[in-house]
Amino acid sequence: MARTIAIFLAALAGCYGLNWFLAEFIEVVYVDYLNLIGIAIILAVSLNVVNGLTGQFSLGHAGFMAVGAFVASPISIWLTYGEFESGPLAHASLLHFGLALLACGVGAALVGVVVGAPALRLKGDYLAIATLGFGEITRIMLQSQDILGGPTGLKRIPKMPQLPGTAGWDGGTSTFWIFLVVAVLVILTVRLQRSTFGRALIAIRENELAAETMGIRSSRMKVMAFVYGAFFAGIAGALFAHYQHSVRPDDFTAVRSIGVVVMLVLGGLGSVTGAITGAVFVTLLPIMLRPVEESLASSGTPITGLSMIVYALLLIAFMIFRPQGIFGQRELSLKLLRSWVPSAVRGKGGKP
Amino acid sequence: MRTALALVMAFMALVLSFTPGCKDKDPDPQAANEIKIGVFLSLSDANADFGKTTLNGIQLAVDEINEKGGVNGKKLVLVTKDTRSSPEQAQTVAKELATQDKVAVAIGSVESGQSIKAAPVFQEAGIPMVSPSSTNPEVTKQGDCIFRVCYLDDFQGASCAAFAYKDLEFRKAAIIFAQDDDYSKGLADFFRKSFTALGGTIVEEAAFQGKASEFKDQVTKIAAANPDVIFAPVYYGSIGLIARDFRKQGVKAPLLGGDGWESPQLIQLAGETLEGCYFGYHYDPEDSDPKVQGYLKAYKAKFNTEPNSLSALGYDAVYTVVKAIELGGGDTSAQIKDGLTKIKDFHGVTGTYSIDSGRNAQKAITMLKIGGTDLKKVKVIQPSDIK
Repeated sequence: MARTIAIFLAALAGCYGLNWFLAEFIEVVYVDYLNLIGIAIILAVSLNVVNGLTGQFSLGHAGFMAVGAFVASPISIWLTYGEFESGPLAHASLLHFGLALLACGVGAALVGVVVGAPALRLKGDYLAIATLGFGEITRIMLQSQDILGGPTGLKRIPKMPQLPGTAGWDGGTSTFWIFLVVAVLVILTVRLQRSTFGRALIAIRENELAAETMGIRSSRMKVMAFVYGAFFAGIAGALFAHYQHSVRPDDFTAVRSIGVVVMLVLGGLGSVTGAITGAVFVTLLPIMLRPVEESLASSGTPITGLSMIVYALLLIAFMIFRPQGIFGQRELSLKLLRSWVPSAVRGKGGKP
Repeated sequence: MRTALALVMAFMALVLSFTPGCKDKDPDPQAANEIKIGVFLSLSDANADFGKTTLNGIQLAVDEINEKGGVNGKKLVLVTKDTRSSPEQAQTVAKELATQDKVAVAIGSVESGQSIKAAPVFQEAGIPMVSPSSTNPEVTKQGDCIFRVCYLDDFQGASCAAFAYKDLEFRKAAIIFAQDDDYSKGLADFFRKSFTALGGTIVEEAAFQGKASEFKDQVTKIAAANPDVIFAPVYYGSIGLIARDFRKQGVKAPLLGGDGWESPQLIQLAGETLEGCYFGYHYDPEDSDPKVQGYLKAYKAKFNTEPNSLSALGYDAVYTVVKAIELGGGDTSAQIKDGLTKIKDFHGVTGTYSIDSGRNAQKAITMLKIGGTDLKKVKVIQPSDIK
């Protein structure tokens, strides 16, 4: 217990330090990239519990994100301004922001139960289609809710709470809050993987029938994993909304759900570090390809959506040469890194 | 523990890879002899057309001004960013313009969704943002740095209603609109409100999803109600198909729409089916005003294509900013912002307008009638006509 508290405190301090460092020394646009990466990591690591660890193929992550965003935003707008009129932005207070995050996580988790309980009776492709349908239904239903802004969505979502000693762009606290959630999620998920619950999930992934005969209540476990994923997807949605200060149903299309799955497939289904790597990679790729695209466009041969082509090629290449993704089901560790170095390079000292 | 260590190390590596992006401590970001104008538009993907035509208009204006020696001896320099038709990307490029390129003023975007996402960024940075053609009322409500040089959807919707009720003397209207599109839904709402307030009745409404290509059900529903006029606030891609489906079912009532109809291909796409229909537009291309004709000539000479209203609004946005520099007494962001609030009776291609206290342009809407192969001006509705 003391160790857990110590780890959380360290994470808190680390996030604060990171936030301070970035706000002080780094250009806003790079901080922006890092924040987007942070949100992607939350999505990927939480979906990994469902798709990687439990082996259920969900394509509805954007739907939960939308639920989270559209539960948290009205709460924090209302608590902060007391009205829904447009106007200048303010910081949400710590209490209000905390309440909004908690509410959106719980809201998304409840939706997760409602959707997961029947949907998880389906397997494979059918589950994927059902969850994809859930995401699209959520988006279209939100579009017709005039109280939530209709297709234009919600605006004037407050900035994330201020911290002592931070200043700068946007109050300069987004990185702290986003990466605090990342840290909590990663710590929880790593712990979860090693727990009885996590082992049960892995057993379901490997062979559901065998797991059931061993006494694992598989439908219940699957729903629990699904709800865990939904909870954090909801929080990611809320962070996204507060980060962008406005949110629209169309921010959560099926393309986003598929994007998260691509992160997992590239990084390695079933590995937390793989999910993180995938999230970093998939978020950075279009940013890094932009100069290439721009120079192509200025030289007279514009390729629209170069990053999409590169994604597709990469996915195909991965499916051929490394179907398990970068990390497979393993985690990044010094041992794994060692095993990647060819034994010839390692020399004779490697093994006696 | 090993995993944790490896994770932390990997993360540090990631952060360190960002170090090339260290803050530039240069106190004078703007070169002394130039004024940086940031432009963010959809230059690729779905709405690339919107961005490209607007950019042409902006480019034309900037070139004209620079040829005449610039503004107060300073050249205008464009920093153009592509939003890839995505609101999310619009916010990212807005951050680049505001913090990296440190532009004095920003122009963008066409789509209201993008403008709404970019607005908080410029507001936070204190950089005035001028949207050439985002008509959604919410855009300029995002803060006191956000301006626009086009009319608003509420005015457009109310004008169409007044035109249908007073000028065409129709009493029964039907509405067909895209449910998931802010522009379409907004106009439908404002039209409904104004038309019923004037004393007319909305006899039927039919909604569709934005990317529909088949409107049989909606058309059947509306045809049954036998309206005098059908208000169709949609984009040019859909109107041809909608008109075709109405005519197929023998509905003769004219269609009425907003500026979304406008496109050089409108007549081609819709053919004869739009004969006798009306839509509201930003200016009259046949206007004898030398300003309009001069602009049309210069545009055709430079780009060898027909200009549209988006180009004209982009063109006007640049001249409005230049006027603001004059009125505000300088070219810093604060001075331009101050100047923009003082724009009064500005004579542009898209009419004579003032910027009101809501930072919106108060300007007239021109109702055009489609006849055969050309567009004819039927009426100009002033903001003072609509109460």
